[in-house]
Amino acid sequence: MITPMAHCSPGSALVAFRSVNKSFGSTQALVDLSLEGLASSVHAITGENGAGKSTLMNLLAGVHQPDSGEIRVRGQPVRIESPAQAQRAGISTIFQELTLLPNLTVAENLFLGREPHRAGIINRSLMRRRAEEALDLVKCRVDVNTYCQTLSVAAQQLIEIAKGLMADADVFILDEPTAALNGPEVDTLGELIHSLRTAGKLVFYISHRLEEIFRFSDTVSVLKDGRLVGTSAASELTQDELISLMVGRPLGQLYPPRNPSRNQLRCALEISDLSPSDAGRAVSFTIGRGEILGFAGLQGQGQREIIRAVAGVGPHVGGRITKRGPDDTVRTVGRSIVAVARSGIGFIPEDRKSEGLYLSLSIEHNVALGMLRELSVWRRARVRKAGIDELLARMRVRSNDQAQPVSSLSGGNQQKVMLGRWLASGVDVLLVEEPTRGVDVGAKSEIYTLLRGFANSGGAVLIASSELTEILGLCDRILVVRAGEITAELDGVAASEREIMRYALAGTMAEARKEL
Amino acid sequence: MAISTAKPNRSGLRPATIALPVLLFVALSFLSPAFLSVQNLSNINGQIAALLIVSLGQLVVALIGGIDLSVGATLSLTTTIIVSVSPDLAVVAALLAGVAVGLVNGIGVTIAGVHPLIMTMASMTFLQGLALLIHPVPGGTVPDYLGDLASTSAAGVPAAFFWCVGAVMIASFLLSTTRFGLRLFAIGANQASAARNGIAVKWYSIGCYVICSVTATVAGIFISARVSSGDATVGAPFALDSVTAISMGGVQLAGGTGSVTGVVLGTIALGLLTNGMNLVGISPFLRTAATGMLLLLAISMQRRNVIGV
Amino acid sequence: MSEMTIHSLPRAFHPLNITRSFLSLPFAYAGTAALLAFACVTRPALVSPVLLLLIVRQAAPLAITVLGQSLCMRVLSLDLSVGGVILAVSYILTSGILKYPEPVLLIICILFGVAVGTANAFLITRIRASSVIVTLATALILSGVVFSLSQLRAPGEAPAILRYVGQTRIGIVPIPPLVWLALFVPVALFLRMSVFGRYVDAIGANPRAALMSGIPYVRVVTIAHILSSLLAVFSGFVLIGFVGAGSLDIGRDLPLSSLVAVILGGVTFGSGKGGSLGPAVAAFMLTFSFNLLTSLGIGEPGRLMLQGAIIALAATRRNPD
Repeated sequence: MITPMAHCSPGSALVAFRSVNKSFGSTQALVDLSLEGLASSVHAITGENGAGKSTLMNLLAGVHQPDSGEIRVRGQPVRIESPAQAQRAGISTIFQELTLLPNLTVAENLFLGREPHRAGIINRSLMRRRAEEALDLVKCRVDVNTYCQTLSVAAQQLIEIAKGLMADADVFILDEPTAALNGPEVDTLGELIHSLRTAGKLVFYISHRLEEIFRFSDTVSVLKDGRLVGTSAASELTQDELISLMVGRPLGQLYPPRNPSRNQLRCALEISDLSPSDAGRAVSFTIGRGEILGFAGLQGQGQREIIRAVAGVGPHVGGRITKRGPDDTVRTVGRSIVAVARSGIGFIPEDRKSEGLYLSLSIEHNVALGMLRELSVWRRARVRKAGIDELLARMRVRSNDQAQPVSSLSGGNQQKVMLGRWLASGVDVLLVEEPTRGVDVGAKSEIYTLLRGFANSGGAVLIASSELTEILGLCDRILVVRAGEITAELDGVAASEREIMRYALAGTMAEARKEL
Repeated sequence: MAISTAKPNRSGLRPATIALPVLLFVALSFLSPAFLSVQNLSNINGQIAALLIVSLGQLVVALIGGIDLSVGATLSLTTTIIVSVSPDLAVVAALLAGVAVGLVNGIGVTIAGVHPLIMTMASMTFLQGLALLIHPVPGGTVPDYLGDLASTSAAGVPAAFFWCVGAVMIASFLLSTTRFGLRLFAIGANQASAARNGIAVKWYSIGCYVICSVTATVAGIFISARVSSGDATVGAPFALDSVTAISMGGVQLAGGTGSVTGVVLGTIALGLLTNGMNLVGISPFLRTAATGMLLLLAISMQRRNVIGV
Repeated sequence: MSEMTIHSLPRAFHPLNITRSFLSLPFAYAGTAALLAFACVTRPALVSPVLLLLIVRQAAPLAITVLGQSLCMRVLSLDLSVGGVILAVSYILTSGILKYPEPVLLIICILFGVAVGTANAFLITRIRASSVIVTLATALILSGVVFSLSQLRAPGEAPAILRYVGQTRIGIVPIPPLVWLALFVPVALFLRMSVFGRYVDAIGANPRAALMSGIPYVRVVTIAHILSSLLAVFSGFVLIGFVGAGSLDIGRDLPLSSLVAVILGGVTFGSGKGGSLGPAVAAFMLTFSFNLLTSLGIGEPGRLMLQGAIIALAATRRNPD
């Protein structure tokens, strides 16, 4: 039996956010957000990418602190400075990245930091007994002496929840808990969530899975662009209404016109049966010459893994990548990063600071590295300064001096330098993760123009972006990715946000077609 | 701890780890008639006692993902301190020095953020110089009470054996039964997760370097008693030898995996190899070269993602 | 009459800027100046031109080794096997164990250097073992083999060519520093002008980005290690020539000294701010300081303590990643 909470009557606000604001750099993640979570409730938090769901919960989990506004727990204003403090305040978070230590047993993990002991010596029998009791609560049938590295994700999640229960938490935050679970495991989790509610706990449930939202939760809050769009009882909402609340942003900026012959393009890159991991599903798709192809879908659904597998940067299993030159010569692309670059494919990572740019080196140096791509290491590094100047001017990178270190540039200009390195390198295929992350509006449209120009002169571009409007505005063709699979192929001009969301949220293409 | 090869555990033991010393023992018994003599076995025991003690200290640091190259120089320094300071204060002074070295290493790695290899290489160089400064030429007199500790035998079993057993018991106790030991494994596996569970990672790390240096100091006390003199260069081989021994014992230098059993087996394997080469008549210098090759072999089997230091 | 105020001076001469550019020079420059000043006061004999030239000659082998070590450090690696390489070279050349004419022996040594560098590089880049441990183990193996072979056949006299190189002068300038110059100029130019040099800068600035953008990382680090071992061989040539005979002690202090000199010369892990000249100046400074310490009665112990302290302090000044 889970101990019911004595100190909070059902229906009273256990957690309250009051006018909370949070920004990261120039991005406003949460804007004037007020929300209440009641005891004895399962409260779903949902919304598109970048809506602010994770940020909101991270405030409660002690990972970040609000810039302004107040968080109240059990009516008292609190300032949660660290995850440890959150735990002490009775808030238990089960993150998407599991945090059980692989080389410790279940019992040891459950009690890490609070081991029962006599003068420093662990009381193993007591620890084992208490661990078994905790696992009983969550109906997990794992031997407490097993090492966690052998456990399935489902079991690990149950153990994390057990850990929270042991700490007598009143608030549980579950972030996409069913992402890695199969049918029966989801049922078990559902039962557990139900018993938590019966015991008076508050469960915040971040998810995109509409079926689960309606199945498990009693309250739904929808976030969009950092603001609360609305909160409603789950029983009073239909799926359609829910989706409508999530989507519907104006396109805003100007995008360069799409490729008019986008339906009859020659293939530039063909990917067959590539899988980013041993367990994963294999994908196959093509990118056309002159095309900007977009991976759409919710964050963390595998887009990044697929792109990185193609680029040779991330893990990849099996599959074959073939490149067709402008003169129709066909080459198989080797699987190492060096071979991929040699084949004329450039990869632009999401995090330009740690993975893309050489911040301490000059602009000239950064761009020149692209120009040297095809030369052997022994050759002279002949770099036309004038050529770099032209490129920088064409990209509208505003800087006085090529010799400045890249770290002194603004985010938008930095992104352009990274792009410029590849534009100068003569590659004809670009794989781009998040083309305009952390870039101001003005620089965004300049980057779109550059990408379109690259495509128009015969290049092929694959973009993965969590900004739906960007995909809709820029791409000729859209592939919707969900759980590592391509669930839909849409025309870039004809597609709508709603249509993409359906394919992004639905379980299978068949189900999605039923909805439409 | 169960040496199960079917179930994964954190000891790092594999069939090869156990097979190697056993095979060596058997092979040497056949290859050399002198091998199984009491005299020879007792020699081996004496030779590996110090290495075992040092390696156990190295194990503690390796579990949290660190490494300490200054153990050899600390050992040398200890022997010079023992013969240079008045007999009543000798052991205390040596231990204090050991704690100081450990603190410097620990603070350098944890708080100043220096790479463990660089930090301990720097302190190794400094301490080597210091040892030579204190006692340039091997010699000196060791306090009487120490001399007895290392050379007497009880019931025919040499003192070295008891030093070994004592060290192994303390280390096993620390790592398998205490909270401290468990938390070391946690820190080695994932520092961030350990911290999130309320473990003060920085203090534990510093503590590990202190334990390692103090262990090296104890080994130094043992050696100075055994050879009855202070020698500023006696400890030099111990740094790389201890890394070889623990690697051969299945300890992962990246942290989180290792066991006392493994270290014992690795040290015995290394000791048997050295003894074997001796008996067969291979020159001591070739033995050094062979140890170098063994080290390369042992670390080649470790998994690492970084190219460079 | 116009008044010259601080504000009307050209920017380069502004006192604040002069101070800033002086302070941003690697420590080696200031350190050398300070040491020379100190020596003028305490041991003026050391500062005579004759002795200074001798110290320059003595520093040449270190300066050559330093060239290779700084390259390794700039790609975030280290080569501590240089001592072993020099020992082996000294043995090959002076013990007569290989009965070939001197020029052939020199070529054999060069090939040997390439082999050691390749072996180190393979272990570091493909097996991904730590550079420190790999190169220390290599040094152990090389010195073990040389020592044991010396039991059969002791090292002997240095080849005539090398003795000539090590001990003669052109005018008043001894040849060893000229050998250094002959190696320094091509290597420095190569680093500055070639694609390789740009890749080295990139790897040092952001190894992850270098890896992801398709730079031939493994090849660059391999070349760095091969060059380092080759330069160790040349350093050995000069050292053996100048000492006149092979010995079992030769070059033992070079690995750590080269590490210290590189750090003092402004090259730290991943950055080449001191250019190529800084470490060379630091090599001179270090050699001078050892001579100074010896004349003050503090020999090897003092040297070791100083080196250890410098490495630790220099490593803490860098921002941890």
